[in-house]
Amino acid sequence: MKTRCLAWKRPEHAVLIDLCAYSNRWRAADPAAKGLFALSGLVSAFVAGNPLAAAGIGVVVSGITVWGAGIPFSRFFRASLAPLCFFLLGALSLACSIDYRAGEFSVAWLPGGWTPVGRLAARSCGALASLLFFALTTPMTDQIALFRRLKLPETLIEIMVLCYRMLFVFSETLRDIHTAQNSRLGYASPSLALRSAGSLAAVLVVQVWQRARALHLSALSRNGDGAFHFLNPVFANGRRDMVFALAGSALLFALLAGMR
Amino acid sequence: MRRMDAQNENGSAVASCPKDALLEFENVSFTYPDGQPGLDGCSLTIREGSRNALIGANGAGKTTLFLHANGLFRPRAGTVRYSGQPIDYSRAGLRRLRSEVGLVFQNPDQQLFSANVREDISFGPLNLGLDQETVCERVDAALEAVRMSGFADRLAHTLSFGQKKRVCIAGVLAMRPRLLILDEPMAGLDHAMRKDLLSVFDRLYGQGITLLLATHDIDFAFRWADRIHLMAAGRCIAAFDAENLADNAEALKEAALPLPDIIGLRRHLVETRALDGSRAPRSVSELLDFLTQRSI
Repeated sequence: MKTRCLAWKRPEHAVLIDLCAYSNRWRAADPAAKGLFALSGLVSAFVAGNPLAAAGIGVVVSGITVWGAGIPFSRFFRASLAPLCFFLLGALSLACSIDYRAGEFSVAWLPGGWTPVGRLAARSCGALASLLFFALTTPMTDQIALFRRLKLPETLIEIMVLCYRMLFVFSETLRDIHTAQNSRLGYASPSLALRSAGSLAAVLVVQVWQRARALHLSALSRNGDGAFHFLNPVFANGRRDMVFALAGSALLFALLAGMR
Repeated sequence: MRRMDAQNENGSAVASCPKDALLEFENVSFTYPDGQPGLDGCSLTIREGSRNALIGANGAGKTTLFLHANGLFRPRAGTVRYSGQPIDYSRAGLRRLRSEVGLVFQNPDQQLFSANVREDISFGPLNLGLDQETVCERVDAALEAVRMSGFADRLAHTLSFGQKKRVCIAGVLAMRPRLLILDEPMAGLDHAMRKDLLSVFDRLYGQGITLLLATHDIDFAFRWADRIHLMAAGRCIAAFDAENLADNAEALKEAALPLPDIIGLRRHLVETRALDGSRAPRSVSELLDFLTQRSI
């Protein structure tokens, strides 16, 4: 009997982003500079009056991510696939609505035509490209350091730290349990797969609770008093990186002005 | 004679505890909230500057004992003393205790919760209120001590099991403990990693850190430790200097442990007059050295 295992053949989304963030050309650049450029891209895509300008911003920022930071296009595309599908569904639900009355389906199209849909899709793609630039070039640890510099609430940062670490711990646990189930034909048929997935979820809930308790004990053993304290990383070329980010931002706004 | 020594640790004769005792358990009992027994009248003494192996079957109470030593659990009955004083369970008292008694958990994923290595190791020293510069120095020194200097900026989830264990040790070392407690540090490690970790322990011992580790490996305990403590059913049933292990066969039997292979081999060699009876090797390499010297 042939068992199927479609999951975990490729790195998960989070691992893919992490892989890019740690292996790009601008890995060591100041996260504040990368954050500034991403924010400029986000703002310019948002304020772009016509869809072409917003799409142009998206293309330029994507090009900088791929050619400038050296993120392979295939990885960039794979990272953007899930949000692009989400945008497609959002655009379709905006463009038309399906109604069911008196036993008949009817499709109603948006009165304003495709223009508002195109504007929304272009803006979303521009904003997505900017966010992907930041996520794919900046490791989570640098992002957290930046958020700390920006004085984001400590609780939010602590949750980010724990979620980030736990993401990998649980994906490992999930993979181990899944493999153990698979090795005993747990996914040999749809009904068995459903049963195995249910027991996997149940076991994971218990493991989440146990892991949380274990981490709490471990934090206490090293004098953890509830609050997390962190070292402040130093970026040697912070000023230079900031100048490049300002130049890049100026380029985006110039492009926006030129395409009005 | 040595068995008497062991019995003293179990009884109420705490007055006979050595002056250099760093950590003492006196008739400590603890039961988990679900009614599961943890410790049952456990008495034990750890001398400053010594290497100690705590041996016992699974469920014997080793981890529970360690959690008491770090002040994470509070005994239902009995007393835990550190540096001659009963543990102060106030916030400030626990802070002092945990800065001197470092605990490395068995599962490294239980201890590592920061994204990267440097950040995780800095967790303890930053909790001590040290300034950033001092913390950076301590992090670098701790990484050096466990030979992981090149891994400071690596992500925790990209490390191997053995590397994670060493980072966990570094995380505790950065707090500069006087007593380092390790819960089954060799579990899950291959031969090369064990050897590597052992040399880290030897280095720490050389720096004057008192070591207490839990293990199931009687051969390793005999080879490495100065003092061996046997645990069974939540009690320390015997404690003796490692060199006197052969005289404590009964206690080992009670803890369901065999005598180390090297002792049986030595006895046979002494009986066949291949080895001088005054020689007591604690490892195969020591035995080979003695045999080589004899043949010369």
